[in-house]
Amino acid sequence: MTDHPTNGLDDVVHQRVRLGILAIAHQARQVEFGFLRTTLQLTAGNLGQHLNVLEKAELIQIEKGYEGKRPRTWVTLTATGEAALRDEIAHLKELIQQVEHAETAPIADR
Amino acid sequence: MTHESVPQADGPHELLAAVRDLTRQVRVAQRGTWFPLLVFAVITLIAIPVYRYAPYVDLFDTCRSSPQHTVCMAPNPTELGYWTVALVLSYAAIAGFYVRQSRRRGVGTPIRPYVVVGVALAVLMTAVSIWLRLHPLVPVPADPFSTDPAAIEVGPAAWLVNGLASPIAVIALALLVLAWVERNWALLAYSLVYLAIVMVQGGQVIHSTSPWFFLPYLLVPAALLLLGSAAFALFRPTTEVPGR
Repeated sequence: MTDHPTNGLDDVVHQRVRLGILAIAHQARQVEFGFLRTTLQLTAGNLGQHLNVLEKAELIQIEKGYEGKRPRTWVTLTATGEAALRDEIAHLKELIQQVEHAETAPIADR
Repeated sequence: MTHESVPQADGPHELLAAVRDLTRQVRVAQRGTWFPLLVFAVITLIAIPVYRYAPYVDLFDTCRSSPQHTVCMAPNPTELGYWTVALVLSYAAIAGFYVRQSRRRGVGTPIRPYVVVGVALAVLMTAVSIWLRLHPLVPVPADPFSTDPAAIEVGPAAWLVNGLASPIAVIALALLVLAWVERNWALLAYSLVYLAIVMVQGGQVIHSTSPWFFLPYLLVPAALLLLGSAAFALFRPTTEVPGR
């Protein structure tokens, strides 16, 4: 097995919507379902499915409650989620570097 | 229709660009810059009647009396008391505002460092001001009743200590922390300009016998804060979270 950066990619995190959810939760500390839905432009059902995947992987924590009469669902990044996001971004940067290096290297070196 | 921050390809470039764009959107939604500026403008304006009409409390024994006059060689301690209370209450109000905004918009707020630094600077300002009353950096004139203006050389250390004792400068220093918390370049530029103006203004001594001599020291920062508040309010995000 090689140590190519693609081997380090986590299938749960390496998906554009789920990566988006983790990035938003990281910056916001705590983010509401409605904000995620609006920002990521998803339907409630679709977003709910992605949240379930992330919650099962223990990357996020979901809290449900009410504010007045309005139901609210708050999403918080867990320590595991924080580490997974950091790793994913590091792997993506590594991948880009490798691709750029391969593009600029002479053909004989490839 | 799809959003530009949610790319349709899962390439590393597109994913990283999306992460950066989403982070920027969250930062914009977390901002509430206009409110702290408005609060500080209001407490600066309220300080005007305090400076003018609050009776002098000679806590530090700085007043000397002659048959005709009483001369006090330090600012009224009531002013210091006013600023300490007003600043702490302001930071409490600002924290409350950001928490309410966070609930309304659906994104958490990282305001705690700003509030903690703001309150710490207010406490430091009070401590430095009291220390300056007890250990004046500028020599006390031999004849406190003399009306002759005297040129005083003030070094950079004294300038810095005086700055820390100035509530107007302390507000600006805390705004630099808010600019960092909000990753707000516009606020950083505004805070630096505001700080430069109030520090230059604080170094000028107006020789005046008017009871309103302090007015420029309060009106200029209050006007700057009000203008800043209006400008940031014009460009503030109005996103509210639709319920689930």
